[in-house]
Amino acid sequence: MNTFYAVLVSGLTVGALYAIASIGLSLVWGALGVLNMAHGAMLTLGGYVAYGVITGLGLPVPLGIFASVAFGALAGGLIYVLIVRNVLRQAKADFEANVMIATVGAAIALENGILLVFGGQPLRQPVTVSGSFELGPLIVPWQNFIIMVAAVLAMAVIASLLNYTRMGRAIRATAQNRDAARLMGVAADRVYLIVLMLSGAVAGICGLLLSAMVQLSPSLGNDPMLKAFIMCVVAGLGSLPGAVLVSFGLALLEAWVQYQFGARWGFPLLLCAVVVVLIWRPSGLLGKTEVRRM
Amino acid sequence: MTKTSGRTDLLIALVLIVVAIAIPFQIDSRYVLGQIVLALFYACIASQWNLVFGFAGIFSLAPVAIFAVGGYATAMLCFFLGWSVWAALLPAALVAAVFSVLIGLACLRLTGVYVALLTLAVTQVMYLLIVTDTECFVQVGSVCRQLTGGPGGFSRFGDFGTRQLLKGDWMIGNYAIVCTLFVVIMVVTWVILKGPMGHAFRAIRDNPGYAVARGINRFRVQLLVFGLSAFLTGLAGGVYAAHFQVIGPTILQLPQLMFIIAIVVIGGTGTFWGPLVGTLVLMGADELMREVGEFRTLGLGLIIAASIVLLPNGLVGRFRDLMRYAGRNRSAGLKTSKDIQ
Amino acid sequence: MSAVLELEDVRSGYEGVEVLRGVSFSIEAGELVTVVGPNGHGKSTLLRTISGLVPLRGGEIRFEGRALDRHVHHTAARGLAHVPQGDMLFPQMSVHENLLMGAFLCSDSTELARRMDEVLTLLPKLAERRNQQVSTLSGGERRMVGIGRGLMMGGRLMMIDEPSLGLAPIVIEQIYEVIAQLGKSGRTILLIEENPARVADLADRLFLLDNGEFIWSGPPAELLASDELISAYLGG
Repeated sequence: MNTFYAVLVSGLTVGALYAIASIGLSLVWGALGVLNMAHGAMLTLGGYVAYGVITGLGLPVPLGIFASVAFGALAGGLIYVLIVRNVLRQAKADFEANVMIATVGAAIALENGILLVFGGQPLRQPVTVSGSFELGPLIVPWQNFIIMVAAVLAMAVIASLLNYTRMGRAIRATAQNRDAARLMGVAADRVYLIVLMLSGAVAGICGLLLSAMVQLSPSLGNDPMLKAFIMCVVAGLGSLPGAVLVSFGLALLEAWVQYQFGARWGFPLLLCAVVVVLIWRPSGLLGKTEVRRM
Repeated sequence: MTKTSGRTDLLIALVLIVVAIAIPFQIDSRYVLGQIVLALFYACIASQWNLVFGFAGIFSLAPVAIFAVGGYATAMLCFFLGWSVWAALLPAALVAAVFSVLIGLACLRLTGVYVALLTLAVTQVMYLLIVTDTECFVQVGSVCRQLTGGPGGFSRFGDFGTRQLLKGDWMIGNYAIVCTLFVVIMVVTWVILKGPMGHAFRAIRDNPGYAVARGINRFRVQLLVFGLSAFLTGLAGGVYAAHFQVIGPTILQLPQLMFIIAIVVIGGTGTFWGPLVGTLVLMGADELMREVGEFRTLGLGLIIAASIVLLPNGLVGRFRDLMRYAGRNRSAGLKTSKDIQ
Repeated sequence: MSAVLELEDVRSGYEGVEVLRGVSFSIEAGELVTVVGPNGHGKSTLLRTISGLVPLRGGEIRFEGRALDRHVHHTAARGLAHVPQGDMLFPQMSVHENLLMGAFLCSDSTELARRMDEVLTLLPKLAERRNQQVSTLSGGERRMVGIGRGLMMGGRLMMIDEPSLGLAPIVIEQIYEVIAQLGKSGRTILLIEENPARVADLADRLFLLDNGEFIWSGPPAELLASDELISAYLGG
């Protein structure tokens, strides 16, 4: 029974991380209709920036957290200005694929830049907390608890930004009907920039939390990004509540499979899940009925 | 974009064949010849991915996975069943084609990014499953051998026999084999593109609605090209395994996949000669960047991103624009000189 | 009398096809002008060209004496409200949020409240449906949200594209009652309609658009009286 609770705790923690990773992806997909393949590298960047500021420069922890958010936003903004905007301007039919390829290029460059600056050896994120507390039958490590709280907090901030601010409404409007939003006076270009910066900031936080759980390495973000993609597809690309829900569900399932059958079967299971869901419901579990199928 | 006339293609092909025959007589260095062979493998995979993505419009990220299946199948047939490499090549290519068709059945009814994500996930899962495989399948002497070869992969499962036959010149023999493979692949690709299937691709890519109205079954055509290109890619994978006498999970890693994609994008997506041009340019750049070793991957990433942004139609597309521009200037020039007369 | 909107020899179209082939006209303040014509002859393209959704290929468009630049989001800032064909609402938002999006550029909260009040008085149905998601509304209700959202923009010229499209006759009547009220309130309106009979009592002037050109203009009664025009262009 103890293992059941251990699996539950680790599943929920990982789920929280997947959820904020997929929120970042889903935001961009929803508003721009493209996938940012550099999202994983942006996660990695967030983790390393915090490490560099706290351990490297010896500055206080909150400043490190702030720096990873700021650098994430900056990276997102640069990816928009240098790559995405220009590819969208080419007005070619296969812009989806071209944005993906170009952002993978950016991801490789970013990942390698990190490797050159920090080296390839795994590093320990300084913002770790030891100890645990008991909650009924659950033994929750403080580390996991803090990650979960921070993730939920991040989600709440994004949700209220999107739901209760003028800019948030403009972002959702652009995602739902771009031309109509432009007719209302929304500058789509600016919305796109803000969305990518927001997604970058979220990636920064996510990378920081992620690196507090596992160790820092230049490929830190790749695996979570691919899994976050799977979550987004299962949920229906662009559906934020769906992405959060599916992230927790699949993370719990993954944790259980990894415990039952060994760690190597976690990812194949996710892949099977997404194939089954897509055959059964091509627009995802909670996606709009409009099917992206020809 | 694909309207280079057959005669131009033939002319280019003849020049290339002459160059290909001249190469072993001109180049003594086994290293350089080895790099040329490697480049030819890249060109093979790239040309097939170009067929899938550039012509048929399927954004699949499975090319290295299919290549690996071809290589692994060849190695496994030789290793476990004791087949000769030559006998294993075609069955292994068939295995790759079946593998690809299965992937196609699962994802070709979807569009764009969904196909990309699924095929990328398949590649990643293959890599993870092979790398983490620790279960003994057979015992070779004191060494335990996993079914998938594990992180070390397969080696010493046989070769083309060029070493016994040509002794020190074995590399030239292998070069000839890989060259032949490349020529076969290019010819088949050309025939596919000029035939009815090529027209169907163009219709599907340029105007899906029209294609459906004309009775083209998108799913079936795409599945067919998925299988065909996978057969050729798998064949190349088998030859690759036999040439290097080793096949391991590293070929499934993301940078390999990106290298293939970069080749096509830089050369010119959806152009017949694009992959070859891209291979030459990127392998050349790669050799140059060897001097600054640690910046190679960084450079590759930047080259990919920059060429998508700055060269929307690749080098071949840019070259055509230049030719057209020059052609217009020349005809304009002729007109004025005539006026003067 | 000052022209709110002036078009001079406007040409536009989509890839390779010229849809508008030199259209000129102007609208005075307080006028309700209607463009009628058969389907597929450029009525919607005319509005979409004015607001910048379709690129201008030639000619000039002036709004209150100054040329409109070609950024779509600037037309709203200039005071032009476009109620597009097929509503183009934000389906996953509530009625209230859709209306708020109309006033996206309005940063003055008292002005915003005034506009909201005005819209809900004119379209009481929207007050009832305030918190309902737009995708769950009926076609007529959606059309009202579209018009309401356009009113929330507070523009000095309102362009309404085929408000009767796809609606049941009884609902069309309701929608046209609203438009008649808007016309009476002194607003400047450019209206697109397929059926000239529907706007007979409403419009100050009528333009007949055929094959990308204005082939006739005048008071509605005159057009309706001419069997020749009706049968040749409007299939009546």
